[in-house]
Amino acid sequence: MPGIDECLLEAMRLPGARGAALVDWTSGLALGTVGEAPGDDHETTAAEAAELARLAAEHGAFAAGGSDHGGPPVEDLIVSNRDSYHLLRFVDTTFDSSVFLHLWLARAEGNLALARIRLGEMAARLVLG
Amino acid sequence: MTVTFSPPPPPLPVRDRATAQDRTTGALSPMLRRLAEEEATGVLEREHGTLHLAGGRVVHAESPHAPGLGVLLTAHGTLATAAWQRAAEAGGPADAAHRLLEAGLLPEGALALCHLDALYDAGYFALSPSSTPGRFRYDSTPRRGPLPSVPVVQLERETLHRRLLLHRLWPDAAADSAALVRAVPAGTAPVTPRGRAVLDRVDGVRTAPEIARALGRQAFHTLVDVRRLTAAGLVRPVSVPYHPPYAPPAPPPPPLTVTDPDIALLKRLRDALEAL
Repeated sequence: MPGIDECLLEAMRLPGARGAALVDWTSGLALGTVGEAPGDDHETTAAEAAELARLAAEHGAFAAGGSDHGGPPVEDLIVSNRDSYHLLRFVDTTFDSSVFLHLWLARAEGNLALARIRLGEMAARLVLG
Repeated sequence: MTVTFSPPPPPLPVRDRATAQDRTTGALSPMLRRLAEEEATGVLEREHGTLHLAGGRVVHAESPHAPGLGVLLTAHGTLATAAWQRAAEAGGPADAAHRLLEAGLLPEGALALCHLDALYDAGYFALSPSSTPGRFRYDSTPRRGPLPSVPVVQLERETLHRRLLLHRLWPDAAADSAALVRAVPAGTAPVTPRGRAVLDRVDGVRTAPEIARALGRQAFHTLVDVRRLTAAGLVRPVSVPYHPPYAPPAPPPPPLTVTDPDIALLKRLRDALEAL
């Protein structure tokens, strides 16, 4: 049963992983961080990623339908940059929370499809054991 | 010719203003900062909540305004109420999280996440401005276990960040603690699904922390929704008169007869007068 840090370290073992964080999208607080962050600033990165996650979780175009237990129906968000990917995976908890995993991936070495599948598994394992 | 080398004199001490400022910047409670520096272990009781410190780090926080770990875990069936009660009775709510972990009732990740959520949530209220001084009790009970703890500075930074976040949504804090009532908005404002759940529980009696408890949600998350609903004109605190059409002038207040003067209030008055 992994804790928060173990989960983030596991994400860092993905090929091309540069940094990872667990972030609350209501407050923008990083509950855990490992590796690098753009601009070497995990705090600002978490706050900005939280803004993006909040928009996707709340706006009708993306969040229509909702899910049975109140969590957003959005599973993940992908931002493709010239040299990297940002992968944001919503964590579905059985208690009320608003958190997502954020993985920063180097584009040259990273495998987006693999990372997306693995991050989903990690998000599930984090809360289900 | 003999040359003697003497070591250069030590530089004169210079007060490093930048460092001095850094030490106090963002300090919400000077006492707490001092306790963190001496790596104290014990319980800090403040007007709106309690912080448990182990080796200068915050390991647990409680506030009457925040629902706490028990409510968050049991409200949506993550944990059976009886299981929570057993954990809380054995060593008090401060140690309940560690007992749950030892009992293996919940996955470590879920528990660590909920524990941090509850800690920052109650910590926000515990560090809110108070009118009475805090009291610290040295006590060896709080312990650092496998669950994450938070440096004092980190909790203070996050609390300040949360205050700013709420202020940007709606600058009036009146709706944070007053009973809430629905209002008729001037326009139509979209309400998020989470905001809708809060709005549905606004009944003219409940306050934001009570709604948080009823929903099994973090109180701060509920404050975010309440401030947004207030900004949209959908909700207002009941103490604020809605349309005071032709309110008669209020009668003059009766002369103040105080038999049990509040020392803190008197001190604040004295400080205010001295500052004039």
